[in-house]
Amino acid sequence: MTSILTLNNVTYQYEGTKSAVLKGINVSFEPAKVYTIIGKSGAGKSTLLSLISGLGVATGGEILCGETDLKQLDRDNYRAQSIGVVFQGYNLLTNATAVQNIVLSMNISKSTEKDKKGYAYALLNRLGIDRETADRKILKLSGGEQQRVGIARALSHNPEILIADEPTGNLDKETEADILHIFENLAHEEGKCVIIVTHSKNVTSIADTVYRISGGLINTM
Amino acid sequence: MYILLNAFQNLLRNRGRNLMMGGIIFVIIISVVTALMINNTANGVINDYKNRFGSEVSFVPNQEKLMEEAQANSTDGRFRIQLPQIEPEKLLAFGQSEYLSEAVYTAETKGNSDALNAIDADKGGGGGPMIGRVGPNGTQEAESLGVQYYHKISNQYSDFEDGLRTLTDGSQYPENENECILSDDLLENSDLAIGDTITVTSALTENGAEPGSETYTDISWEMTIVGTYTDMTEEYGGNMMENAYTNRKNEILTTFETISNKMQDSLSGITVDAKFSLVSPDMLEAYTAEVREKGLSDTYDVTTDENSYNRIIAPVEGLKSITFTFVIVVLIFGSIILALLASIAIRERKYEIGVLRAMGMKKLKVVLGLWSETLAITVVCLILGLGIGPIIAQPITNVMLEKQIAASEEAQSGTEFSGGGTFRSGGASAMSGGPTSMRFGGPGQEDVQPLSELDVSLDIVTILEIIAIALLLSSLAGIIATRKITKYEPIKILMERN
Ligand SMILES: Nc1ncnc2c1ncn2[C@@H]1O[C@H](COP(=O)(O)OP(=O)(O)OP(=O)(O)O)[C@@H](O)[C@H]1O
Ligand SMILES: [Mg+2]
Repeated sequence: MTSILTLNNVTYQYEGTKSAVLKGINVSFEPAKVYTIIGKSGAGKSTLLSLISGLGVATGGEILCGETDLKQLDRDNYRAQSIGVVFQGYNLLTNATAVQNIVLSMNISKSTEKDKKGYAYALLNRLGIDRETADRKILKLSGGEQQRVGIARALSHNPEILIADEPTGNLDKETEADILHIFENLAHEEGKCVIIVTHSKNVTSIADTVYRISGGLINTM
Repeated sequence: MYILLNAFQNLLRNRGRNLMMGGIIFVIIISVVTALMINNTANGVINDYKNRFGSEVSFVPNQEKLMEEAQANSTDGRFRIQLPQIEPEKLLAFGQSEYLSEAVYTAETKGNSDALNAIDADKGGGGGPMIGRVGPNGTQEAESLGVQYYHKISNQYSDFEDGLRTLTDGSQYPENENECILSDDLLENSDLAIGDTITVTSALTENGAEPGSETYTDISWEMTIVGTYTDMTEEYGGNMMENAYTNRKNEILTTFETISNKMQDSLSGITVDAKFSLVSPDMLEAYTAEVREKGLSDTYDVTTDENSYNRIIAPVEGLKSITFTFVIVVLIFGSIILALLASIAIRERKYEIGVLRAMGMKKLKVVLGLWSETLAITVVCLILGLGIGPIIAQPITNVMLEKQIAASEEAQSGTEFSGGGTFRSGGASAMSGGPTSMRFGGPGQEDVQPLSELDVSLDIVTILEIIAIALLLSSLAGIIATRKITKYEPIKILMERN
């Protein structure tokens, strides 16, 4: 199987810091598989995801999406269409309702869905958020609910690659299992590439491949 | 489209902040609306008066210089003030100037014609000076000297413009030399028809050493009647002297050249008037230099009626400059406040911008969204401002104008102003010993009152100016937003937050 994402010798150093967080990452990801990335807090997991999702630009090395270097792509379009991101800190519009967040994301992604609102309600419902909750402002949702809205948003435009940063950190065992089931299905039934950063053993259990980041490098477990 | 929808939703989501923003924009707009309305109205009034008073040029005899010259020429201590004439050719030359927007020439004289049967001929002629004499039996009697004239000959067509006279159907204005039009009554009374030619005679006068010793030179025209006019005013138009000469229906209207061509050096009897208007009052100096070059004697001063103008318009000028300063100050402070507000708002919304960018929204669209929010607020404020501004502008104007009038009266009291006057050359009545139609002083002596009322109104220009200013202000906010947003990388915004 050809890889959908390839990282060649990727390094990253935050402005004004003494040493690089990522010191030469070599890894590739394939469709229809679930990957998990583990590592100590501060190891650079979120940083790696932000580079993959096109939010940041690698200081050195290259990231290929298929055959094309990310630098050559319109990273806005790449974010809007090819990739779905569940952020560690959710990153939702706190003043807007859950459903508004998802409809706006679909609009940005130029979704062709006719009934965007209906689609958004259905998606949220699949993640255990009822209509009443969906119409509430993000500020008035619990952490777990916000996390699920974040997941719904990442899925809303049906991207080829799904990236999730600690997607189950705030969820109870039962909900976590539901969501992991969704991720598994996405990879194995729908052929998406799912990359999850996690500390949770439950999450690594569904993974096809587990990577660990330490010392700025990545290794298979 | 969804960007506008999102912007609209944002307006409602952040009501508190937007109300504050709207309040500030509203204060700026209402101030600018009011001040601009006053400013533009004042400007219009000023320009109007500038045109009416400030640009009509007069050649006013300088009496001091005249005296000096007369004294210098006198041999036996007795002297006679003699006005130098301005020849019609010179007048025509003075009128040819790029500083003038208009040059209107009028010529006037009097005449008689055997072919014409003047209306009210039985009331006698006129046009000559009356002179008081002691009659044979010792009584005082008025006697008209010289030739008695029955017709005024001129090229004054302003009555037609004013609607007091109309050209009869099928008639035309005289275009070529020696063409004339008569009143339809005179034509009928004289049993003439359009196309007939009449002989008109007159005489020019040379002043003798003393009254009574004048000599006359006959002049005459062969005039073709090219049309008739109907006079709609009263025959004598309030003239005290009722005779054939003063009867408006006996006037012969012809061209300027027809009359002025008969002028002769040092002979009087034909009056030539010229009315020159400057393109702008501040061209007076340049124009003066030009006419001096062309040979205007320095016994004439070149003036405009600037003093009347200044007196009338000073308070409005004050109003104009105050409102102008006000607009500038409001705009500067308004811009600073808006710029500060915009950058605070952007900082506040940094997270929101990061989220939108993380979702893949393009920078331009983010800016567009923010800008349409500000624009929507601005438009609402504009509508309110344009609605309320006119209501408060009038009372504010009244108060301000009152203050300005008081201030300008204080400044002007004690300052006398010299009058201007229209210029005439070629004495009309030689009998009174010289050209008397030269006006000394003139209309400038009238007691002019400063403008005490100013009706402010909102005209289309003002509306457009305000819209332009408002759009500029909201774009300023947009530009600041753009600059800030281009600085933020979404990863930084979101990572800092985490
Ligand atoms: N904006 C920033 N500027 C400078 N250093 C940063 C910035 N963001 C993160 N770092 C540093 O980079 C390192 C990697 O951070 P990152 O968020 O990728 O860690 P992580 O592996 O996701 O940790 P966690 O498991 O706690 O989420 C950390 O040491 C962190 O302090
Ligand atoms: Mg992290």
